[in-house]
Parts: sequence; C-alpha cells; structure tokens
Amino acid sequence: MKISLGLFLMLAAAALVLAQKPAAPAEKLHASAIQIELTDVGDISIPAEFRYAIYERLIEQVRDSRLFGKVYRSGDKAAAGVPDLVTLHTSLEAFDEGSQMKRELAPVAMGSTKVDVTAQVTSKDGKTLLNQKVAGKVRIFGENLGATNDLAKRITKLLQASF
Amino acid sequence: MKLNVLLSILMGASAALAQQPDQPPNVRHVIGLESVKLNANGHLTIQNGVMQFTTKKTEAKVPASSIEEVFVGTEMTQSGGTAGKVVKTAAIAAPFGSGKALTLLMRTKVDILTVVFRGADGGVHGAIFALQKGQAEPTRTQLVAAGAHTSAPQTELKDRTKP
Repeated sequence: MKISLGLFLMLAAAALVLAQKPAAPAEKLHASAIQIELTDVGDISIPAEFRYAIYERLIEQVRDSRLFGKVYRSGDKAAAGVPDLVTLHTSLEAFDEGSQMKRELAPVAMGSTKVDVTAQVTSKDGKTLLNQKVAGKVRIFGENLGATNDLAKRITKLLQASF
Repeated sequence: MKLNVLLSILMGASAALAQQPDQPPNVRHVIGLESVKLNANGHLTIQNGVMQFTTKKTEAKVPASSIEEVFVGTEMTQSGGTAGKVVKTAAIAAPFGSGKALTLLMRTKVDILTVVFRGADGGVHGAIFALQKGQAEPTRTQLVAAGAHTSAPQTELKDRTKP
C-alpha cells in the first residue's frame, strides 16, 4: 500500500512538472506597413507641442527601427491600399509637465516630466493586436519635451518585441 | 582734406550697413520637417504664401494654405548651446553642490511654435520650432496673414499651450 501510494505521488509530481514546462513563445505579428495616428488626449490638458512631438518622435523612431516596409502618417491616403496595414493608436492617460530647473536642483526627487499613454495596435478589420500602457519620463537632465522621445523609444521597443 | 575723405568713406560704410535687410531671427527646428535635421538652427521666413525654413545645408518649404493649426507655447531650455551643456555637466563635479547654481544661471526661456500641416499625400505633420522669447506670436500672425488656417482664436491658444 505504501509503495503504491509513493508511486502514485511520484507519477503525480512528474505529471505536474510536465504540465509546467515553459509555454512556447508567443507568435510574432506580421505587417508590411503601419499607420501612426495622432495621440488622443481626451480631456487631459497637455500643451500642443507635446502632442505633436509624441507623434513626430513615434514616426521617426518606428521608421528608424525598420520593422515595417512603410510607415504612414495619420491621414495619408496611400495607407488605404495596404491590405495588411496595422494602425498604432496612442491615448493619453496622464501628463505631468514637471520642471527642468527643479529636477536639476533635486534630481529624481522632484520636477520629473511624465507622459503616460496606452499604446494600441489594431488590424485593418479593427481587431486589437496589442494593448499596453507605456510611460515616457525625463528624470534628471534635458528639456521637458525629452519625455516624448523616451516614450517613443519605449513604444518602438514594444513593437519590436511583438513584430 | 584727407580726413574729410576718410570720414565720408566711414559714413558711407555705416549707412550701407544700416540699410542691410533685417536678417530673420535664428530658429531651432525641434522636429517635424523631414528634410531638416533635428535641432538644426536656421531661419524661418514667410514669403509669397510659403513658410520656409533654411539652414546652411538644406531648406524646407510649406505652403501656408496647407497649414491647419498654429500653436504658441513656451519652454525653459539650456542656454549656451553645446558649450553650455559641457560647462554644466562639468559643474556637476563642483564641491558642495555649488555647480547647481549654474543651473539657475544657464537657462533661458524660449517660445515654441507648433505648425500643423498636411503633406501632398494627406498625411499630418507637426513641425515644432524653438524661437527667441516673444517671437512666436508675431510669426503666428504672419502665417495667418499668409493664408494659414487656425481653428481657435489666439487667446484660447495661449490658454491651451501653458508654459
């Protein structure tokens, strides 16, 4: 009886180990082109230059990454003819302009500029392929607008991990 | 006699210098014009219904009629250009945090001009420029006079683009 119980426990443990084997890595998405939309700011107050800097930095960073054969701007008519086009949407979640002077006087403790967005990639039929919160920051040196560059880099990394 | 000739030459030279056309103010292209490098310095002019940004190496033209919005904002930035950055970075090593005093001294407020326009393909562009303080508003007025569109009155724009 003791032996059969021990055997049973061993078999159960082996089955558990097999069941816990690492999951296969998620399949990468594929698209020949991406269209980048302007950030939806909703009701959050943000200076216009930040909104357009996020957009322009994203276009620059995604182009430089060479993940996609073509990167289309918002409103580009040519994008409509691409069958496997994906679209990158960003929605502003929070914004703190911070202060360059404060963060240089008391680094990290105060004055950080923060831009939080939700980045979403959708297919042409409207299906959500990717949805994640991303934050861009300037903690010590640099102009406040530098947070848009940090944000664009992080979103591009997210795309690189998924495409 | 000779003194009179010399004086007249000097006066003529000074008059010629005084009659030189006003050089457009120096402007920094932050981002948004694809043919111009980021942070390139140049001159922004508005002539014959066209906004033109010219650097030593390149130029970009935007028809005023394609401009959909012009926003004015402000930003604190590092004065002294690259040399200023080097000096400030070196000052970090100064004892007892005395280098932080430089942070207060080596800064300047600039105007930020955001020009939103559509390219020939319909794509949205957001060109962002840093100008000397007090120069963005007259430039905006010039753009509107040249045919640029803007949906919000000037006062509202100022409210929206907080410093």
